Amino acid sequence: MAEPLFYDLSIHLKSEDPVVLKKLSNLAQHLGYSGIAINSVDNSSKLVRSMEIDTINLLSSVELKISNASKLHGQIGKYLNKVDVITVVGGNESINRAAVENPNVDVLTRLATPKDNGFNHVLAKEAADHNVAISFDLGDIIHLRGGRRVHSLMNFRKNLLLVRKYDVPFILTSNAVSIFDMRAPREMIALAALFGMTREEAISGLSETPGAIALKKNHSPGYIMEGVLELDSSSVSDDLRGEHV
Amino acid sequence: MKVLPPTLRPKKRYLAFELIAESPISRDELIREIFSAASHLLGDVGASECAIRLLAFEESNGVVRCESDRTENTRAVLASITSIKGKRVLFHVLGISGTVLGATKKYLEGADVFSPQNSHI
Repeated sequence: MAEPLFYDLSIHLKSEDPVVLKKLSNLAQHLGYSGIAINSVDNSSKLVRSMEIDTINLLSSVELKISNASKLHGQIGKYLNKVDVITVVGGNESINRAAVENPNVDVLTRLATPKDNGFNHVLAKEAADHNVAISFDLGDIIHLRGGRRVHSLMNFRKNLLLVRKYDVPFILTSNAVSIFDMRAPREMIALAALFGMTREEAISGLSETPGAIALKKNHSPGYIMEGVLELDSSSVSDDLRGEHV
Repeated sequence: MKVLPPTLRPKKRYLAFELIAESPISRDELIREIFSAASHLLGDVGASECAIRLLAFEESNGVVRCESDRTENTRAVLASITSIKGKRVLFHVLGISGTVLGATKKYLEGADVFSPQNSHI
């Protein structure tokens, strides 16, 4: 079997200095990643453009922190054609709900509310229908200590249960703010095992699902919208044409 | 005294790792941080089951020994270490082997170590 290609779709950078980008992509490559998404904080004037440094695929991404669910649609419209990955920061029932109902949202992250895990069977069904991935933010397990880590592990356990049941796409992210916050894919798998995720699930959360998100915007020629593709007339076989004309 | 028969000996795994750090870390500081992280993450009971022990550690490479059925937990412990004495660090497990010689030979000798201070960045 070919080695899976690993992605980390949530890396934050304070500066957009090319030297820092180069350093980051070197480290990502060293750790075994083949693609990372650089998150720009929303409202920032400059977005990191997607590019390739060496063999690393740098994706542009935006993390939308919205105060009100009604603002989500407008914000998404603003970034839809500019970035590769649109991530919505959850954290309240209505924002989580709005995010999973919008097929243009790629990832919903940090969805836990102060009260509970912020995710339930209704949202899970919607997320699966609209192909919105849920992010397990392993940065929490790495950085938090004590009660807060216990809570985030509990939330991850609950989310995992729902994700399995309703077949919701999910990804594993490091949510790194510096190069020292990144972890190699196999370390991520070990961290995910702490809340009961199997090795196979963790690998698909690091490679297949984020890979599909990364490729979403790279449409094949003739793409019109989800499910509609313009075919070249010469490529349509004669017997197929005969039925309809 | 007669030696313990091989069937009764606990099975070990040896994790070869590199430590990417802001500035050099001493062995004592590293040991203290590993044990503190282990009991924070797994509790004292879980940490004792792992039987983590730091063997060789030089500059930025080293070998950690643990129980063979607790390698994933040990990996998670190492991954949960973020800083040692205020210096930010990043553990990267290079490989796991059944003998200390295997771990050293396969993964540490001639390994290209990533250093943030280095010129290739």
